Amino acid sequence: MKQLPKYLPLAPVFAAYVVMFLIAENMEGMWQLMSMLLFYCALGQAFNVFMGMTGYVDFGYVAFLGMGTYGMALSITRLVQYEFLGVWIIVIGFALAMVMSTLLSMAVGAVALRLRGAYFAIATIGVNEGFRFLIEGARIWNGSEGMIFTADLNTILGREAAAALCTYWADIMVLVIAALAASVTLFYMRTKVGYALTALREDEDAAKVMGINVTKFKIIAFITSASLAGLLGATAWALKTPYVFPPEVFEIHYTIEAIIIAMLGGAGTLLGPVVGGLVYGLSKYYLSIFLPGFQLLIFAPVILVIIVLFPEGIVGMLKARTKGTGVERFIV
Amino acid sequence: MFFEQLGGNLIQGVVLGAVYGMATMGLSLIFGVLKVVNVGHGAFIMVGAFVTLFLFSSLGISPIIAVPVAFMVGMGLGLIFYYTTIRKLIKAPELATLLATFSMGVLLEELVKLVFGSEFRGYNWEVGKIDLGITVLPMAKLYACAGSILIAVLLFLWFKKTRAGSAVRSVVEDSEGARVCGINVGGAYALSFSLGIGLTVASGVLLTMFIPVGINPYMGGGYTLKAFVIAVLGGLSSPYGAFFGGLVFGLIENGSYTLFAYIPGVEPFALTRFLSFVILLVILLIRPTGILSAK
Amino acid sequence: MALLELKNVTKRFGGLVAVNQVSLEIDKGEFVGIVGPNGSGKTTLFNVINGVFFPEEGTVTFEGRDITRLPPFKRAPLGIGRTFQIPRPFASATVRENIAVGAMFGTQGRSLNVDGSLQIADQIIERVDLTAHRDKPAGALTPVEKKLMEIARSLAMKPKLLLMDEAMAGMHPNDIDQMVSFIKRVAEEENIAIVAMVEHIMRAVVGLAEKVIVLHQGSKIVDAPTKEALEDPKVVEVYLGHAPED
Repeated sequence: MKQLPKYLPLAPVFAAYVVMFLIAENMEGMWQLMSMLLFYCALGQAFNVFMGMTGYVDFGYVAFLGMGTYGMALSITRLVQYEFLGVWIIVIGFALAMVMSTLLSMAVGAVALRLRGAYFAIATIGVNEGFRFLIEGARIWNGSEGMIFTADLNTILGREAAAALCTYWADIMVLVIAALAASVTLFYMRTKVGYALTALREDEDAAKVMGINVTKFKIIAFITSASLAGLLGATAWALKTPYVFPPEVFEIHYTIEAIIIAMLGGAGTLLGPVVGGLVYGLSKYYLSIFLPGFQLLIFAPVILVIIVLFPEGIVGMLKARTKGTGVERFIV
Repeated sequence: MFFEQLGGNLIQGVVLGAVYGMATMGLSLIFGVLKVVNVGHGAFIMVGAFVTLFLFSSLGISPIIAVPVAFMVGMGLGLIFYYTTIRKLIKAPELATLLATFSMGVLLEELVKLVFGSEFRGYNWEVGKIDLGITVLPMAKLYACAGSILIAVLLFLWFKKTRAGSAVRSVVEDSEGARVCGINVGGAYALSFSLGIGLTVASGVLLTMFIPVGINPYMGGGYTLKAFVIAVLGGLSSPYGAFFGGLVFGLIENGSYTLFAYIPGVEPFALTRFLSFVILLVILLIRPTGILSAK
Repeated sequence: MALLELKNVTKRFGGLVAVNQVSLEIDKGEFVGIVGPNGSGKTTLFNVINGVFFPEEGTVTFEGRDITRLPPFKRAPLGIGRTFQIPRPFASATVRENIAVGAMFGTQGRSLNVDGSLQIADQIIERVDLTAHRDKPAGALTPVEKKLMEIARSLAMKPKLLLMDEAMAGMHPNDIDQMVSFIKRVAEEENIAIVAMVEHIMRAVVGLAEKVIVLHQGSKIVDAPTKEALEDPKVVEVYLGHAPED
């Protein structure tokens, strides 16, 4: 019980997620909006584990979501013939999604994490494109035709249960992943991992001299962030919309959105991705009503302003404002 | 038969490679002087392509004239972005400039989309072609290649023969030393950044000769990746290294396409693009300072 | 057995020889001053000792163990601490967290958890009198406070050997005296060998040193007890005939 106060900052995060869930359940027509907001919170939360905590930016991040989507898709399309597995196929799908995104992150990390700063960014920028073209070029997993597995899902679960999975349980899983990502973030912050990551983010050479195995901790953050992305892809993409096409799941657009959410909310903070996800998701939603297709036209300059004037983001600023007051301990 | 095809493709590769090289010089110049990686590089190439398209299709102006116009547009964009953003981030963590240049690219893409829409476009500049027996080269591509070499030579002379050029060179060597010697380091940064962007936008004009109907606001992403491969081939911070890196890359790209086309059941074009990503990782792994650089 | 032993260490950068065939020994608890003008290879020598660079030739031995090719993060836990010429705090972390990092990763032989490290940090903060700044981000400290914080951070590592790079540069003479006597006291209490590197023959530092090593253009030219070293004609020559500064 002594440890409990250390994890108090999770309270506002979980509260936000519960409120979103309650709104979605009880208010007519809100489910779609809330599920989108939850996806953005989860995406930001997962992205933040690496980018926010280490200060390294992975421009190919979306590839991990793509791998997760393929993991679930492969499990469903390849295991559908084994009827006795039933719903376990979905469970195996999540496991496969995690394994595949982790393997990709280990392969990318083995090269990229040896590199510093700009070189790291250069190494990662082609990962999503590179993987897309490998799948299309070598015709792996149906190549550019992709996979559609609505029928397979129906076979596995029955029509009704499959529909419930796509329209309800997939979103609940997104919520679970968002909560999981937040918990992992705070757990890291409260343990040696977080101290090591902060140190290496601020000054990598000094961190080494202080006895920190920087490569090890970067790998921990990178793999954690990637496997969360894999789970997110498996549910938010593969289960919600039961098909996968290489150009869609490796679209750099989602990396852009993850960067916007993390920077807007406050990179490296626990609450940042929630705040950033909500602000970005709501603005995108309403912009798509009033100015369809031009959300990024608005957000690109906003991000420039944030980088130049408020690099600490909304939560970073709140943190500075609330220093010494009662709410301080909740804003992390 | 195979060797004729390969030979023809390699000639095409050299011609394209020279343009690739020139299209990467701006990236290397900016990294060499400011230590800023322009992650939005491809978007600036895209702007050049649209300058060409607009001048040609709407005003009937030749792509030859579009080169200096695009260069000026790029210089202007470079100055704006330098003074509003980059200048304030030089001392910030590297993450800041990476994200900032990335956002600049997104902003340009969205602005162009707002004005021109997002469908693929092209234009047709008929200036004849020459038949080399094993391959046919459109004159437009030859002009683009010649233009790239000319621009590379001009940049070389500018560095060697002008005061501004040598100021920039001394900043690359030692920015503190240059400051002590009375060189306006901030000015050299601004000049190099806008020059780098100018070169990049101008290269967008030349690249349109190779993509008959490939002009689109999001066309830049692929070029960003190629430019990184080329830049690391050439050592990342040297514009000339980048130029030769471009030649090598053009050869690799066209040569590998020819080979992949012989493998049954694959899509050679996609594999070529995958290969460029693999090359990037391999170079970064074995020699991040570049294969072609002297040191 | 000496605590630290360098044998014929050479480190080159391209054609430039930064450290040339340097051998030296540091004993347990010894206070050694390394003196040398700018560019004499002092910082490179430090970087070789704590593993930032590996030498081309020669060996580095710590407590009898060859550590020539050991990466820096493995040397810290053996008991090699370091402060920088220009302090390098982890700017966004608080003073307390900074110091805790030293205890958490740098402590020899013991694996300390977060709470234990924070406790050690608190003790050290009290000792170095940084209590008022405990929860400030380290980036917000004054340069002198940053130096103090950095020293505290390396003391939290419980080092056997502490390398101090220009620890007193830019400080007011009064502060220097205070700082030096503090370090000397801690070093004596905890049996820490101190290697303090200075550009000029600073009375406050060199005066307390038991031994002085003088580097000139990458080579060691003098290695002797302080009194003898200061009278050595080669030292006077290196400093162009300037008498020791006071």
